[in-house]
Amino acid sequence: QKLMYQPGALATKVVCLTQVVSEDELKDDGEYEDILEDMRQEGGKFGNLVNVVIPRPGPDGQPAPGVGKVFLEYVDVDGAAKARTGLNGRKFGGNIVQAVFYPENKFAQGDYEA
Amino acid sequence: NDSGSGTRKRKSRWADDEPKLPTIQLPDFMKDFTGGIEFDPEIQALNARLLEISRMLQSGLPLDDRPEGARSPSPEPIYDNMGIRINTREYRARERLNKERQDIITQIIKRNPAFKPPADYRPPKLQK
Repeated sequence: QKLMYQPGALATKVVCLTQVVSEDELKDDGEYEDILEDMRQEGGKFGNLVNVVIPRPGPDGQPAPGVGKVFLEYVDVDGAAKARTGLNGRKFGGNIVQAVFYPENKFAQGDYEA
Repeated sequence: NDSGSGTRKRKSRWADDEPKLPTIQLPDFMKDFTGGIEFDPEIQALNARLLEISRMLQSGLPLDDRPEGARSPSPEPIYDNMGIRINTREYRARERLNKERQDIITQIIKRNPAFKPPADYRPPKLQK
């Protein structure tokens, strides 16, 4: 039996949505808030959300780690698993979202680049 | 909800949970068979609802998420011989969706006799 290790395949409480938002959208405070709200609403349908993190570029537009991703942290793996299945392949503002599990330890450390 | 009046109605950027399967375009010669029936908006609406129901049933998410106050009174409980309640809210919600699903399939077939129903579809009994 082949043991597969694929990043994002191991179930965790944190779901990472990739290719969701552009740097430009995040620079604008209003849009950033809107996106945050959209994420809370949609993400909340799958389970109890603990935290939503959307990395933003620095004030001078310098690139920051994890920009373009959205992290949804759930109370349990169950919620995260439902969200991953439910959101993967959905469209957000024209982008087709990919949803993967994200290592909890890295998320806790604020490492958004795994 | 917060303050209310000032809040502008904002559309979520999330696209509707549209079917992820791409709709298969039939080759032209096939259209003669179906008479282009799948482009009938009513059929499309029925198909869309059918997909939605199937997804809800498979998602494992709670089917009846109406809040406490917004529900009508539950029927008398029914228990099986192990003393476990049968007609739970979840069970009734599932039954309701299954029923709707069967009805939709029946309607689609009525409009398009060539429609191939899913394997678990049971045609309605003829007697009333």
